[in-house]
Amino acid sequence: MNVSRRKFLAGTAAVTTAATAAVVATPHDGDAASGPPPSRRVDAREKVTGDLRYASDRLLPGTAHAVYAVATIGKGRLLEVNTKAAEAAPGVRLVLTRVDVKPPGFLQGGGHAFQSLQPLTSDRIAYRGQHIALVVADSLHAATEAAALITARYEAEPIAVEIDAPGAQKVRQSDVLPTAHDVVAGNAPSAFAAAPVKIDHEYESPQSHPVPMELIASVVQWDGDDLTIYEGTQNASAVQNGLALQLGISPERIEVLSPSVGGAFGQKNSLQTHLAPVAVAARRLGRPIKVVVPRTQTFHNASFRPASHHRIRLGADRSGRMLAAMHDVDQQTSRHDYFPAVYTELTSRLYGITNYGSQQNLVRTDVQTPGFMRAPYESPGTFAFESAVDELSYALGKDPVALRLANDTAVDPISGHPFSSRYLADTLRRGSRKFGWSERSAAPGSMRGRDGSLIGWGVAAGAYKAATAPATARLRLIPAGRTYHATIWVDGHEMGQGIRSAVARLVAEDLQLRLEHIEVGVGDTRGVPPQHLTAGSWGTATALPAVYAALKELRKKLGLGAKGPVPSGRGETIVLARSRAPGQPEAIHDRAAQGLPAGAGPEYPEFTAFSFVSHFVEVRVEPTTRRIRVPRVVSTVDCGKVASPRTAESQVRGGVIWGIGAALRERSEVDERFGGFANPTLEEYVVPVNADIGRIDVGLIDKPDFNLNPVGVKGLGEVVMVGVAAAVANAVFHATGRRVRHLPIRLEDVL
Amino acid sequence: MNSIKVSFRLNRKTVDLVVDSRESLLDVLRERLDTTGAKKGCDQGQCGACTVHIDGRRVVSCLTPAVQVAGREVTTIEGVAGPDGELHPLQQAFIDNDALQCGYCTPGQIMSGLACIKEGHTTDDAEIREYMSGNLCRCGCYVGVVAAVRETARKEAGR
Amino acid sequence: MKPFAYTRAESVAGAITALGSPGAQLLAGGTTMYDLMKLRIETPETLVDIQGLKALNYVDHSRPDMLVLGAGARMSDVADNAFVKKNFPAISESLWRAASQQLRNMATLGGNLLQRTRCSYFRGGEPFPCNKREPGSGCAALEGLDRGHALFGGSTSCIATYPGDLAISLLAFDAVIEVAGPKGRRTVPLAQLHVEPGDTPQIEHVLSDDEIIVEIRVPRTPSGRGSTYLKIRDRESYAFALVSAATGLTLARDGSVEDCRIALGGVGTRPIRATAAERSLIGKKVTAATARAAGEIAFAGAKPGHHNAFRIELGIRAVADALQTAKTRAS
Repeated sequence: MNVSRRKFLAGTAAVTTAATAAVVATPHDGDAASGPPPSRRVDAREKVTGDLRYASDRLLPGTAHAVYAVATIGKGRLLEVNTKAAEAAPGVRLVLTRVDVKPPGFLQGGGHAFQSLQPLTSDRIAYRGQHIALVVADSLHAATEAAALITARYEAEPIAVEIDAPGAQKVRQSDVLPTAHDVVAGNAPSAFAAAPVKIDHEYESPQSHPVPMELIASVVQWDGDDLTIYEGTQNASAVQNGLALQLGISPERIEVLSPSVGGAFGQKNSLQTHLAPVAVAARRLGRPIKVVVPRTQTFHNASFRPASHHRIRLGADRSGRMLAAMHDVDQQTSRHDYFPAVYTELTSRLYGITNYGSQQNLVRTDVQTPGFMRAPYESPGTFAFESAVDELSYALGKDPVALRLANDTAVDPISGHPFSSRYLADTLRRGSRKFGWSERSAAPGSMRGRDGSLIGWGVAAGAYKAATAPATARLRLIPAGRTYHATIWVDGHEMGQGIRSAVARLVAEDLQLRLEHIEVGVGDTRGVPPQHLTAGSWGTATALPAVYAALKELRKKLGLGAKGPVPSGRGETIVLARSRAPGQPEAIHDRAAQGLPAGAGPEYPEFTAFSFVSHFVEVRVEPTTRRIRVPRVVSTVDCGKVASPRTAESQVRGGVIWGIGAALRERSEVDERFGGFANPTLEEYVVPVNADIGRIDVGLIDKPDFNLNPVGVKGLGEVVMVGVAAAVANAVFHATGRRVRHLPIRLEDVL
Repeated sequence: MNSIKVSFRLNRKTVDLVVDSRESLLDVLRERLDTTGAKKGCDQGQCGACTVHIDGRRVVSCLTPAVQVAGREVTTIEGVAGPDGELHPLQQAFIDNDALQCGYCTPGQIMSGLACIKEGHTTDDAEIREYMSGNLCRCGCYVGVVAAVRETARKEAGR
Repeated sequence: MKPFAYTRAESVAGAITALGSPGAQLLAGGTTMYDLMKLRIETPETLVDIQGLKALNYVDHSRPDMLVLGAGARMSDVADNAFVKKNFPAISESLWRAASQQLRNMATLGGNLLQRTRCSYFRGGEPFPCNKREPGSGCAALEGLDRGHALFGGSTSCIATYPGDLAISLLAFDAVIEVAGPKGRRTVPLAQLHVEPGDTPQIEHVLSDDEIIVEIRVPRTPSGRGSTYLKIRDRESYAFALVSAATGLTLARDGSVEDCRIALGGVGTRPIRATAAERSLIGKKVTAATARAAGEIAFAGAKPGHHNAFRIELGIRAVADALQTAKTRAS
């Protein structure tokens, strides 16, 4: 065990029990003995002062800086790397072209990393931009300059980068991933054939990149045989365990500190392949090393959203009852890993369609392995499916909201189980009212603004599995004057979604403590190990049940009732508690402890669980130049109980903006002659700016789902994006009569 | 001679150091002076996360060679709050409007917002949006950012 | 970035002398030069810093015939200048619709005029061939991703777009630049500052290495007041133009056009003045039809590549829209 962990766990001894006054602890703000405490973001102050230190903000004494050189061919064999000039450059301490580390293993294939390929371990080049050499120097500018001096000779091979490029290899997913079966219910082909009204169209979503504002970065420090990693990650345990396997050391020797992440969106959900060579270099040099992967390199050396092509067939009767749906998908993956395609998990449950069919294929291309970018399957999947539902509404001459309401269901048509909770219809009704949907004139091109702009109103529904993962919480209560100070450590990572705030609020509410007296530790393997992956929108629904269990345990240990503040005079108390998803075996904690993904859902033994959302979007299309603007969005979410209203609202707005980006802006471009991605900068990869965003009205249904967990929470961070792109596309159709079946929708599509 | 002695003011304190002519102000702040509020998001002037003030004007520190700040006054997010830690009204407005999530772009947003107010580019929301568009926020906090800048500008105008 | 020597010029004359040493280049705002040095596209031996030269930083509107701008004036300051906003809204708009306020606070007018292309093959370095970056290596854009590339003035060597906005509005108003060099001063009409790529796309303008733009002079005209700069791009702000149009009009009492200015940005290898389109409107009223027709004339010679033909129709409409705005302002 390393020094830092020992210190942390021994820390309690220093706390003295303060002299206590009578009666009870000071209740939280507002004084009422019950009712929720105010909702605020507990780490906001240190974020507005610049005091918060992200991983790359660590400046350790003696730090050396590392920069990678990258491959300039699209694929092939590395014949020689010439490092002479780099090694001779001033300030350079080390140049590595090969490291002796084990493969990291692909997260979706039993390993810990975003891909199985570890650069600097063989002569294979799988994609342009792959790391080929690591330069370490005394200063960042020296390392940057030396890395630019590295040249290489290659034997190039033909490439296919895009999903429809000649040479891309399509395989049926069920043939190569036996656990990924196609969702089937009833008899979709015959029900579709017999349906009087049919929709059959293809939709395309492009490859795109998450581009969190914080660059992928690590600070690596050895202390004897102990290794500390500062890195913004959603998965400290995968970094810890995966790196240990790569280096051949015990995970006990590695601590990973990721207390605050500067945005992640799935791109930081696992071990990154830049890390192991840096750890090797730091050991060899006996100095801490900081590596900040340049923005351009993050487009090639970390995961991205794969391109996907969807064929949607919908059959309905004339009254608007959907009789059959078929959703076939081709999704891009790399040559070296099969990133699974799980698009139909959601589209099969969005409505009560009893005949459902699907086939999902993987298309192997010459890229780094794609991965989970926010609403990874659900955003592209619903763009296709909810566009098709909109097309069906026009084919039927029915209002798109009414059509959706008419096909709502309380039962999961695939499993036959009830939904744990489902307020999709409520989100549609409430959103429709707030938006003023009844004022809509249905014919495309029939609504105009005063300035002559074409107005389009579009709607789409969305959902996202209500996933849950195992978690451990450790709660320490110590007297502090007339009140108590609580420290709660729990599985989770703070990426800005507000998990700290949600946890603090639950503790504050239960123990009736002020938020200032609650400290929340997440993303740090020195706290409660493991720090299992925070992803799949399960963060809150995973951490809060563990915290809830810890609070119950504390009450039991102190012999308190189910409610009320802790009477004064109690000494330091520490409890440990664990929670896991309904139906998960105890052993699931061992899996999490190994840094392996251990989430469950949407199917649980007795129910199916999803969060739901509806989006109502207004677009205005300029009459001549056809610029598309989105002045107004009304989004209403069913995420169970709202654990932290303030951060929740912000998350909804953020998800909507992501949806607008997907709908109108974002695409990673490819030039097949060179491989890799051709617009790897924040200038050319176009994300929305402030001027792109108008009003976003947020509604939260806030009905607890106690079937899923005792706190009643479901996920929020991903569902909020689901359906936005479809609602925008549907609004563009309503404005212009132009049905665009690919993303992003750009000027050239509507001129 | 690529090493140059520079002296400048950083958050009201004098700094003397020798820099390499290649070093950006951003890297000097972060890697030499342990002043890490300004963030690196692109290093190419394309995101605004590194925004600081030089002589009271907002600039991107990633495209500012450190040698160019000799004799000038640099203000970073660390220099915005009062001496006793009392927040600037705009910092408080960012909290009140939850104009942040991950927080990584926030120092740049605030430095930009302070300048936006000082420049007077706060006539209406459209102008605020335009003049805050040099600061990307991937979490999508634009609505809150506009609200915080608007609210602070109005308060300051009322004083 | 390659190591380089740095020297701070104390005067224009001092800067010109310093530029005489081999491999010396100017540094002003840094937003182009320092950026391209990071990309190893510019590799000066010496940087001569003129950012601090107060003598170049001014806006002078005291002359009845000319608006005079110091080449060292910052883009943001000129954009916000009350005189410029009132008398040349197109110039103000072309400034504030460029980049971000942070960059405009840094960038100088002179530097902005010489801003280099944003072609991703040019900026991307290895492995992309680029005749501009490495003469003789080829042009990756010709058969590549050319959605943003030039419709006018391209050659078999280069189709990179001139990215600036200010030059477009200045061109519309017959601006002239004054240049200082070892042999003294000379003036260059803005229309002659930039050159087409031809076989030498690495040569982008007519200035020599030891010359400095010191001043920009814009003849005052009523069309300045009746002007606008319309910029269309892939997002609402902080992006380069897919197409832009600077227009200016002077109208007779009956509303017919006496003077017309049209310049196009984002579509040429250098700034484009649409003189035939301007002439087509003289004596006519600006209507939807005549404005559209002017746009069509402006884009008559456009040569699209593989993915950029839509920008012809977009450009036609942009010219038409910009003429309507100019008409409103001129009326």
